[in-house]
Amino acid sequence: MSLLERRYRSVLRLLPASYRAEREEEMVDAFMEMSGDVSDELNPRPRWGEIASVLALALRLRFGGAGAEPRLFAWGETVRLLAVLGLAFHAMGGVYTGVELLRTLVFQVEPGLAGAPGSFERLVAVVVSLAYLCSTVAFVAIMRGHVRTAKITAVVGAAPALAYTLIPMILAGPLMDRPLSEPATLVFTAVPVIALLLGFHSDATPRRRPWALALSPLAAGLAVLGCTWLLVALRLPDADWLYLWLDLGTAIPVWATGAVVVLTRRSSPPWALAMSAAGLLLLLMRVPLLGNLPDGSAWLTVCAQCALLWSLAVALAWVGARSLPAARPALQP
Amino acid sequence: MNMTEPMFLALTALVDEPRHGYGIVQEVDRLSVGRVQLKIGTLYGVLDRLSAAGLVALDREEAQQGRLRRYYRLTDEGAAALRDEAARMAATAETATARLRARMAGGAT
Repeated sequence: MSLLERRYRSVLRLLPASYRAEREEEMVDAFMEMSGDVSDELNPRPRWGEIASVLALALRLRFGGAGAEPRLFAWGETVRLLAVLGLAFHAMGGVYTGVELLRTLVFQVEPGLAGAPGSFERLVAVVVSLAYLCSTVAFVAIMRGHVRTAKITAVVGAAPALAYTLIPMILAGPLMDRPLSEPATLVFTAVPVIALLLGFHSDATPRRRPWALALSPLAAGLAVLGCTWLLVALRLPDADWLYLWLDLGTAIPVWATGAVVVLTRRSSPPWALAMSAAGLLLLLMRVPLLGNLPDGSAWLTVCAQCALLWSLAVALAWVGARSLPAARPALQP
Repeated sequence: MNMTEPMFLALTALVDEPRHGYGIVQEVDRLSVGRVQLKIGTLYGVLDRLSAAGLVALDREEAQQGRLRRYYRLTDEGAAALRDEAARMAATAETATARLRARMAGGAT
């Protein structure tokens, strides 16, 4: 076996074993016929275009769409559901940012938040807020089956958070020196977008869900914002722990209720696995708070949230992994 | 099924005779005058979709230098789908040509 063939076979290991068992030999035959005789002394490698085409095929097969083998389809559905759940969190965040921007620009509430009118700070604040709002658009778009719009707006929506976390990390040195909240935010922001980009490929037919579902994070975001303003207006003493149930904190009981429903109804493995991953993303955002809060009711609240997230996420992962369809046995060529 | 250009060209490559993987790559290159050069990963993605839709089928298998070589042929459904797509493309091209002719006749530059 020539060096080039050996290297091409290594690239083909990106493909699922069952697919390789069926296709590897003829793919190698086509590739080697196309490449012609190349001496090992030239240290030949498959071209980047060939590697990219195998990678694209591997992603489409591993995150299977309609017609894929059941196990690969289940993994594909898991990734697509994770994208939707993660974007729902970001859609809520987009609503807060949009409303706060509106309050600042139109009603001049806390004008310091967005810099002086006409200043560069004001321009940056407006651009960043509009970018965050794109996450809300992305969620609505994917729920209504508009994949391309969802992908573009999700990337734009994630850009500010990625820039705010990545740039300090790059400029300030090793990852270990940065606060844990920065890599946590990076993962929380990037994972749903990556899942969207990878999961919704050309073989995955997007479902058009009802408008009520598509707009639900907007309604939830507005409700949470209303509760926040109410809490601020009431000026309750010793109510720090209550704020921990707002913003992402609101998503925790909603997610926990969903998790219990998935566990008790024995929903499909993709739901269990995607809910587990979404819970771990929320946990990732909560754990850094443990190091920042003083002992007391707020710290205990975060502890309780982390315990809830961890226990249900593990249970969901266990149930999901156990009920995944079996892998198709790889046939020997 | 939305027929992409590589799918259309791969089906066209199989009209006259069954071909194996690299044979399809070569024929697509010839048909598109070098504009579309299918990578092997792309080719097999296209063949998977066309096979799943019943537009191409396995014709025969051969062993070449110890490796498996599979030949694919166009099915009747594939020929019908290709005919429909070609007619649609021809109608679009006809419309474009007619409009360009009218534009020229109107003295537009």
